[in-house]
Amino acid sequence: MSNPRLAIAGLVALLALLPLVMRDAYFLHVAVVVAINVIMAVSMWLLGITGLISFGQAGFMFIGAMTTALLTKLSGWPFWAAMPLSAVMAGLISAPVGRLSLRVKGVYFFLVTLAFGQVVSGVFAYFQDPFGGWYGIRDIPPPQPAWLFTTLNKVPFYYLGLVLVLLTCLIIYRVSRSWFGMVLWSIRENDLLATSAGIDVPRCKLVAFIVSAFFAGLAGSVYAAYFGYISPLVFTFEYSVNVLVYIVVGGFGSIAGPITGAVVLTLVPELFRVTGKYQMLAFGLILVFSMLLMPNGIVGAIAGAWQRLVARKGGS
Amino acid sequence: MSGTLIAQIVTSGLVTGLIYMLIALGVTLLFGIMRVVNFVHGELVMLSAFAVYFLGAEAGLPFWLALTIAIAGSAGVGVACQYLLFKRLHYEILNCFIVGIGASFAIRSASWAIFGPEPIAIPPVFPGVLKLGGVFIAKQRLFAAVLCIALAILLYLFLHFTRPGKAMRAVEQDSEAALLMGIKPESVYVTAFIISAGLAAVGGAMLGSLFGIDPEMGGEPLLKSFIIVQLGGMGSIAGTVIAGLFIGLSDSITGTLLGGELAFIIDFAILMIFLIVRPRGLFGYDV
Repeated sequence: MSNPRLAIAGLVALLALLPLVMRDAYFLHVAVVVAINVIMAVSMWLLGITGLISFGQAGFMFIGAMTTALLTKLSGWPFWAAMPLSAVMAGLISAPVGRLSLRVKGVYFFLVTLAFGQVVSGVFAYFQDPFGGWYGIRDIPPPQPAWLFTTLNKVPFYYLGLVLVLLTCLIIYRVSRSWFGMVLWSIRENDLLATSAGIDVPRCKLVAFIVSAFFAGLAGSVYAAYFGYISPLVFTFEYSVNVLVYIVVGGFGSIAGPITGAVVLTLVPELFRVTGKYQMLAFGLILVFSMLLMPNGIVGAIAGAWQRLVARKGGS
Repeated sequence: MSGTLIAQIVTSGLVTGLIYMLIALGVTLLFGIMRVVNFVHGELVMLSAFAVYFLGAEAGLPFWLALTIAIAGSAGVGVACQYLLFKRLHYEILNCFIVGIGASFAIRSASWAIFGPEPIAIPPVFPGVLKLGGVFIAKQRLFAAVLCIALAILLYLFLHFTRPGKAMRAVEQDSEAALLMGIKPESVYVTAFIISAGLAAVGGAMLGSLFGIDPEMGGEPLLKSFIIVQLGGMGSIAGTVIAGLFIGLSDSITGTLLGGELAFIIDFAILMIFLIVRPRGLFGYDV
């Protein structure tokens, strides 16, 4: 572990070469799902740095997915134009929502964003005409060129997911380590103190809120293009909570937390084939026990164990 | 629109609003005293409704006995949550919220496995319909309304005129000063959890007899009570009563005019507008 950069470069190279060996369609499918979940977890984590959790994250994902679905299916736009626009759309809608909901703090904010998520799916479910109602929208065209992105060949989707995950993680990592990121951490520690140091706290929170909605919209766009089907039953409050579980289990302390959590908790249920209502049972229990037993998440627990190991070696 | 129809909408809205108010009172009580938003509250509503159904309709116990057992059971689950979850997290507001969601999901999906998706309903204690000046109202609804009002008044009297109630308000205002006066916060917390869970149980029994029971039935009243509690101001009893009736009325009106699915969206719009004007709610304070 002398050079983390080298390790990350090696990991990326490994992921890029993986489809050459693993051509199994099921494996690639799970990998794409992991990619979408990682983008969501990292996006929620950025706002989570300030101590605020947006329970409407699935709502922004839904907005992104809906934008892509309508643009590509009804207006015949290419996916590559619809994808950035979907992310921008989620970001645009998040600006007024964030402006209002950030007027309140802590639990009040949780409740307002939670209600917002319900409203997004409520609106999409109510208006049948463009949004498809409870049945959702099916047959969303895949990305271009059509000969590459077929339903049978999942390798292009794997690379699409990989590139977007790497980009998202890189951008959010950079942001979290920038001056702006330090401001976000300081808001978590003490927002009054941050204000008195001349930081425009509401503005910084709002920017973090918009950025995290932007990436949620991106994830939604990829979801729509990959699955070809979206409905209000997908982007639920439960999904927002799942994403929160990824972060809590992985650990809040660094960006490695949400990534680890999303990867592990997407793979484990797939391995054990836990589905439907039992998946929510498992997630609920995992959430409770990791809050009680591992308050710093997997990454925090490993880092703590590593530090103790080093300290013992140094002492002896 | 005729006058009777308006009266019909208003009465049915007020009854639903009263039940939501009862459930929201439990949420706001815990929040006021220990700054905990109990996400398991909705599951207590659901579990008690099932308990009343199985004890009453299946096992043949009289309604009041079934309800009493359900209240005791709900209080037990509430106190268990307090000791096993919230106390261990030192009543820290954000962590308690998250752990409550986890417990709520676990309970809800376990209930799906145990009770199944069969829709059932608690048989009404007072079947039949009453005609009051041209307005038809089911006797069970009237019963629910009277029960909710009675419990709200009892809660008010308890908080203002009994020793444990006064202790509760003392802890709410300043827990350290209350500690200096010899009030044990921990015992006050237990009382608060018991009362809150008891109110949830009654709310569940009433909802179950009017709208039927299923494992998801706790979700909507919980969301509604969050909106109600925020409108009224967290921790405020009077605010909760007013906001509960208001939300019940607005639901009933939008539900009749535009369809039930839009009611929640309208509630949210009201909440948003309210937050612009008065972020702390009607009678609330900053957190």
